[in-house]
Amino acid sequence: MGKLEGKVAVITGGATGIGRAAARRFIEEGAFVFIFGRRQDALDAAVADLGPNAHAVKGSVSDEADLDRLYAAVRAERGTLDIVFANAGAGSPLPLGQITAEHINETFDTNVKGTIFTIQKALPLMGPGGSIILTGSSAGTTGAPGFTAYSASKAAVRNLARTWAEDLKGTGIRVNVLSPGATATELAKEALGEEGQKAYGAMTPLQRMADPAEIGAVAAFLASPDSSFMTASEIAVDGGLAQL
Amino acid sequence: MKKLKNKVAVITGGSSGIGLATAKRFVEEGAHVVITGRREKELKEAAAFIERNVTTVAGDVSRLEDLDRVYAVVNEKHGRIDILFANAGAGTIAPLAAATEAHFDQTFDVNVKGLFFTVQKALPLFSDGGSIILTSSVSNVLGLPGFSTYAASKAAVRNFARAWTLELKDRKIRVNSMSPGPIETPALETTTGLTPEQAEQAAAQFASQVPMGRRGKPEEIAAAVTFLASDESSYITGVDFAVDGGLAQV
Repeated sequence: MGKLEGKVAVITGGATGIGRAAARRFIEEGAFVFIFGRRQDALDAAVADLGPNAHAVKGSVSDEADLDRLYAAVRAERGTLDIVFANAGAGSPLPLGQITAEHINETFDTNVKGTIFTIQKALPLMGPGGSIILTGSSAGTTGAPGFTAYSASKAAVRNLARTWAEDLKGTGIRVNVLSPGATATELAKEALGEEGQKAYGAMTPLQRMADPAEIGAVAAFLASPDSSFMTASEIAVDGGLAQL
Repeated sequence: MKKLKNKVAVITGGSSGIGLATAKRFVEEGAHVVITGRREKELKEAAAFIERNVTTVAGDVSRLEDLDRVYAVVNEKHGRIDILFANAGAGTIAPLAAATEAHFDQTFDVNVKGLFFTVQKALPLFSDGGSIILTSSVSNVLGLPGFSTYAASKAAVRNFARAWTLELKDRKIRVNSMSPGPIETPALETTTGLTPEQAEQAAAQFASQVPMGRRGKPEEIAAAVTFLASDESSYITGVDFAVDGGLAQV
């Protein structure tokens, strides 16, 4: 029997990359998964791949009305919600000196405001035993040239879990941050090329980039009762990159 | 599917509390375990509780010749180690002004020196691609009056994981420390020198400070250690893995 048997999960940014890998793993463990993303073609491809226990809702985490539609669908189709993997994120590099207000707003709208409302709007559907997982980043604790807005937004996400562990005291709902390092998603592989992937991998003690399935496995652990005494934690899944 | 099928695991401090619960879980997940502890009687009871696929070796991690004996048994019985849970630890309470040299030495002998050689002496038998988990403590980042030597020794343990991650990277051996918060184990009464009433008071006080509002159960730590021991955590190394109900995280 899977460790998420009968559970209902929402995964934002669930059509591709880490979100898709987590969706696959959650379903293998017995969960029903709502994936939320902005592009219909990517959502359609994901559902075709994930099968009947995946349901797609199109929308952006930075749009409150879209989130309301997501949770209306969860309520109508399943009635309750056990797991939220707030994974949607965005970030492009822009060096200090060239940063624009739009760049900051875009990054923070998705990564910080989007994460806050993804969780706030999920709470009425959640109860004891619930698990919230936020996607942080190794960039949240390290300096990377050009990543002012992204790394600051991910540091903010890490800190949301601290406050929320206190805000959720007594509810039986846990909240943790999963912080990936260099992960070989389709998008990253395309952007980096063979050489770039090797270079990124070489920076980590494990000497390779992560397979998205390895991040999905950790998300499944945090979603399951195996992590029942963990809350407010940050789990770095970065091959040791930001740990030494 | 069992996550640790046919793995060989060594657990120090395996006869009670976190070590015992972890040994039980490892076996349920398909592993063969070798547990060590200082007292024969407790080891026998632990083996009976674990039921199957368990070997016991009496020994003290602060005595290097005991460690040699442990690994000689492991070598004879299994010929290799896939998972090492270096968990044996000690800590009595002593305020700065009153702590003795014996208190300091005992804490560091077990928690730092003992753990160092537990890992060093395991290496010749260790399988490439294996997993090492070191028991640290949330106190590695907290100030706790009376626990200064214990907390310092556990900070040392956390840092071992950093250096060893790099030293063992070519063998693909992952090294992580795991930091429990307050757990319902006998240790608070048996090793700290508190009376039962004081221990109960301390436990209640710990629980009130934990965001989850309670102490953890040894089985909850065992589940986290099993995760770190298994391929489920294949991209996690060098971390300090807090299992503390949020105590040191907020």
